[in-house]
Amino acid sequence: MLAFVQVLTSGIAIGCVYGLVALSFVLVYKATATVSFMQGDLLMLGAFAALGLHSWAGWPLAVAAVGAVVVVALLGAALERVALRRALGRPHLVAVLLTFGLGMMMRGGVASVPAAAQDMHRLPFAADTVALGPLVLAVSHLWVVAATLLLSALLAAFFRYTRTGLALRACSEDARSAALMGVPVAHMHTLAWSLGAALAAMAGLLLAPVTFVHLNMGFIALKAFPAAVLGGLTSLPGALVAGIFLGVAEALAGLALPEGAKDVVPYLLLMLALLLFPHGLGGGRGTRGRA
Amino acid sequence: MNPGADEPAAVRHGVTCTRIAVAGLLTAALAVALLGVDYAFGKATLVATYAIAGLGVVVVVGQAGQIALGQAAMVALGAYTQAVLVGYGLSALLALPLATAAGALGGTLASLPARRLGGLYFGMSTLAFALIVEEGLVRWESVTHGAAGMAVGAFTVAGWRADSSLAQALFSATLLGLALFACTRLCASRHGRAWRAVRDDEAAAAACGIDPDAARMQAFVVGGALSGLAGGLYAHWIGFISPEQFGLAFSFELLMLAFIGGARRLAGALWGALVIVAIPQVIALLRDALPGDWARAAGLELLLFGAVIVAVVLLRPAGLASGEEAHARRPQA
Repeated sequence: MLAFVQVLTSGIAIGCVYGLVALSFVLVYKATATVSFMQGDLLMLGAFAALGLHSWAGWPLAVAAVGAVVVVALLGAALERVALRRALGRPHLVAVLLTFGLGMMMRGGVASVPAAAQDMHRLPFAADTVALGPLVLAVSHLWVVAATLLLSALLAAFFRYTRTGLALRACSEDARSAALMGVPVAHMHTLAWSLGAALAAMAGLLLAPVTFVHLNMGFIALKAFPAAVLGGLTSLPGALVAGIFLGVAEALAGLALPEGAKDVVPYLLLMLALLLFPHGLGGGRGTRGRA
Repeated sequence: MNPGADEPAAVRHGVTCTRIAVAGLLTAALAVALLGVDYAFGKATLVATYAIAGLGVVVVVGQAGQIALGQAAMVALGAYTQAVLVGYGLSALLALPLATAAGALGGTLASLPARRLGGLYFGMSTLAFALIVEEGLVRWESVTHGAAGMAVGAFTVAGWRADSSLAQALFSATLLGLALFACTRLCASRHGRAWRAVRDDEAAAAACGIDPDAARMQAFVVGGALSGLAGGLYAHWIGFISPEQFGLAFSFELLMLAFIGGARRLAGALWGALVIVAIPQVIALLRDALPGDWARAAGLELLLFGAVIVAVVLLRPAGLASGEEAHARRPQA
């Protein structure tokens, strides 16, 4: 029983990371109708940026973390201005290849720094465990869950109460009408990419104490695709919930199924879900035409 | 760029064929002169094999207008079917159709979940399928030898072994020619017209009595079969296969191939394959040209490959790949 609860909490924690990355993917997809294959690389870059600012530049960890998120957000905005803008309104293939190439460049760039490429690094926070009676929980997992809750609350508030958030939503719903209402659509696209990049970087920071910082930590973002699809591809809360669901399903599969099955469970669930619930588990009907 | 739709198909076909033949001969002559005979034939084999695999992507992306993010899985299924069957003593020539069938089966399974949704959902389901296949190949050790990979003997037919690079190049070029011919016929047929109709306007196609779901599935089956065939050849030419060769990177290489070649034309697969096989060579040259420390950096190849992809997509964004008329441009402020 105890093992079950422990596996469950670690599943929820890793699911929160899937959910955050899926959230960043859906945010970009909804606002610009472009598919981003570089969220995982942005995640990795965020973790490395924090590591670099903390270990080499000597900034305090909290400042370095904020700095890293800002740097990655600016990078997202800059990439949108320079390159990603060209994929607007083109077939998915263009955006897929473009973001994949940019992601490769980021991975290659980090790997070219000898100190970064060598091995696993750790960000010195949340390495302890807490004991709640007989239950021992990793502080890093609690951090992830708490930060995800906080971030989603902030995002919800941003989208509901701020003028910019409303404009971004309008632009996602119907770019033409939004433009006619005076929403600067091009700026909103930049903002969406930059928010998406920032979210991915935050996911990277949260993942850092769980899996350490290494070059291939971005591959975790592949699990965000099933999460995004399960959530209906255009629903932000759906993506987050589906991410947590997948994390838990994966953790339980690791407990019950033979070695190796754990890693394919999200993809099997994705294919099953498409087969049985073509509009996403929580998605409404009739979204197909707009998506 | 795009041959006029009004031109008679036979004329267009003839012109394309001549152009391909001339350019192919020129490239071949240049390659032999520059690189030496054996090396050139080795690369020609690789180009032809990649072109067959890429033809599968061209059918799915260019003809049917869908997206396939896991085509490497079909190549892997073909390669492993071939390797395992030949390992059990089946003749390579008999195993090849079965490898093709394995690829077709993979195409069916990968596209089945998204058949009613189309578009990006095909990308997601093929991606998921490819990741499942990769993991399956690693775990099913009794048959695939897991991550350690397995060795494959030379292609042997009735005592004749294709172990010289000339024989391999000729055999793959012949198969590529057959595959191109079959695809040209198929694309000119009722099925091919149905694919293009679905690509250009799904609702109009459905109104004309075409079943869009069935047409899209067919494209994935044909695409999977072609990639499976290429996999069967690839296993023999490389002589050693392991699951990691058929990862996400290979799927994206095949997408790039279709994109560079121009997915609208079947012959684009050949051009794309030429470029994709040449890119690592160019990167090696670039690497040598860079000064000291830079050239040894571990991530340099990745960085340059990514830069090539980005440059190609940005510099040649139009006139490529899938139907642009099919996706109305989003308004921009």
